Amino acid sequence: MAARSKAVQAAEALARAGQVGAAVAACYDALALDHRDAHTHALLAHLMLEGDFYDEAISAATLAIEIDPDCSPAYLALGLAYDRRGGMWDQSVLVWHELAEVVPDLVTAHVQLGEAFAAAAFEEEAVRSWKRALELDPKEARATYNLAISSLKREGMALALPLFRQAGELDPSQDELFFALLGVKEGLGKPIDPARVKPNRTARIGAAGLALRDEDLFAAAELVRLALDEQPDDGEALALAAYAYLKQEATNEAMACALRALTLDPELTTALYTLGVVYAKRTGLNRHAARVFIALAKRASSHALVHVLLAESLMGLQRYEQASKTYRLAVRLDPACVRARFGLAASYLTSGRHAEAQWEIRRAAYYDTKRQGLFWRLYDAYAGGGEPS
Amino acid sequence: MAAEDAAHLYQAFVDQDPASAIQVVERARASGIDQDALFDALYVPAMAMLGGAWASGAIDEIAFTQAAVVAEQVGSFVMPAAAKRDTGVSVIVGTMHRDLHAIGRTIVAATLKEAGYRVNDLGVNVRAAEFLERVEETGARIVIVFAEMIQTARAVSGVRELFLASGLADVIILVSGGPFAADEDLAREVSANGVILGAESALKLVSRAARDRAREGEA
Repeated sequence: MAARSKAVQAAEALARAGQVGAAVAACYDALALDHRDAHTHALLAHLMLEGDFYDEAISAATLAIEIDPDCSPAYLALGLAYDRRGGMWDQSVLVWHELAEVVPDLVTAHVQLGEAFAAAAFEEEAVRSWKRALELDPKEARATYNLAISSLKREGMALALPLFRQAGELDPSQDELFFALLGVKEGLGKPIDPARVKPNRTARIGAAGLALRDEDLFAAAELVRLALDEQPDDGEALALAAYAYLKQEATNEAMACALRALTLDPELTTALYTLGVVYAKRTGLNRHAARVFIALAKRASSHALVHVLLAESLMGLQRYEQASKTYRLAVRLDPACVRARFGLAASYLTSGRHAEAQWEIRRAAYYDTKRQGLFWRLYDAYAGGGEPS
Repeated sequence: MAAEDAAHLYQAFVDQDPASAIQVVERARASGIDQDALFDALYVPAMAMLGGAWASGAIDEIAFTQAAVVAEQVGSFVMPAAAKRDTGVSVIVGTMHRDLHAIGRTIVAATLKEAGYRVNDLGVNVRAAEFLERVEETGARIVIVFAEMIQTARAVSGVRELFLASGLADVIILVSGGPFAADEDLAREVSANGVILGAESALKLVSRAARDRAREGEA
């Protein structure tokens, strides 16, 4: 593989700095010097994709692949351009299949391949692709959401809903919601020694929240215990304990702590969240979960995921139209919420609105793939002449 | 009384005595508390007490976990019924002959089943005679015919004609699919009784049809 010219490297630097216009101009300058450089065409394809110029992205990525059939970032840009443009599912299948060959452990390639298969009505092949993605990464939420949609189409909502919830639990945004309600943006990133935390309630509760954020459940439990030893009727401490139990799959203990916390403070959002999630895990408690999430939605209406959780409970109660409205509200609050998009797609499917469902799935892919920032991973590996890490 | 029962249930949890816990539940049920209300009336307060006992240190971590295990065992006795009760109403569903669209039908059929209807799903590519055969076999009086293409949607009239010719004028035919959603008059043209626009719409229409039929039966 030829080394990259200085002109390409300049374009890269601009692109990485988010200066899309200048980066595009630099790409054209680089192409004027060497129009057979696969890096530049791949980079240009990525930049066009960033600007939602899909036809231009397709053209540039195709050229990059013609020049070098092993140019993995170009396959990524081409596949995404086909998918985002829509209506080119046969080409999309070929590209994702090719990328899955070039980079076999690239989970997103299998997820996208599945979505392309599904859009082209090859449901069995789609399911195989998503299952392959989950073999590579069991925490791949979008593959699970897609399997939930597929289950809905083949078996109905009762069997699909647990899959939606399972996918939701894989989705890190659910934990993010708890910490947003708690008011903890980031953890410390280092272990907390409970013995060194100031011996007062505020310090202990604050440190317990930080420890939970860092998934240090032992330190969190110890701090909560110390706080409760001082004041057993501390709703916030109990809500933290409930969450810690929930994270350990001890749902009854979580329920007991959350219920006690709500006895002390019926408006405590962190306890409402945990209790709702516990109820949602139990067959037969959809009505209870909905009730709790309605209470939570009143107190934390700006969080998209609160509405998603409520909508999922409404789906369990077969109130699909209300669920659809609630999902739409969640999407308005956070257009990049993949879980809301898939839920909305499911609710559309229950009313035969297949095109709209497909659109929501495509939007979910759009935001999810943008968030992943895969291009640079593949590009750097390609430029370095190695496999992506 | 309920508060007292909840306290007894809590005590049974702490004593790790599932038999006593179940007795408490049975006693509450015998006193007239509905199954759907048991969870809120009994289990929720008992669990809140358990949380309180752990918080205050009245029980330690191990006792808390063991009590939670008993609570888990008793949980199924107090949970509201997951599945809706059998309505006793049979519904035949199927997609018209020469039409292979299955998704809408599958979702509607599963939704109705979940709501307690006895659903006979004939699948796709169903001839009018098969609808008739199944209606005669089961005695069902509600049929949902799915069609996603204009030709197959128009062919629903054949189902009605066959029912009329067989003396089954009282069978309610509901239709579903894109052509019926797009053209309100089409359902009338094929002599359907209503248009289903999705799973929730199916629940509403089938429930109304079942109610109407029950009223006719009483009259």
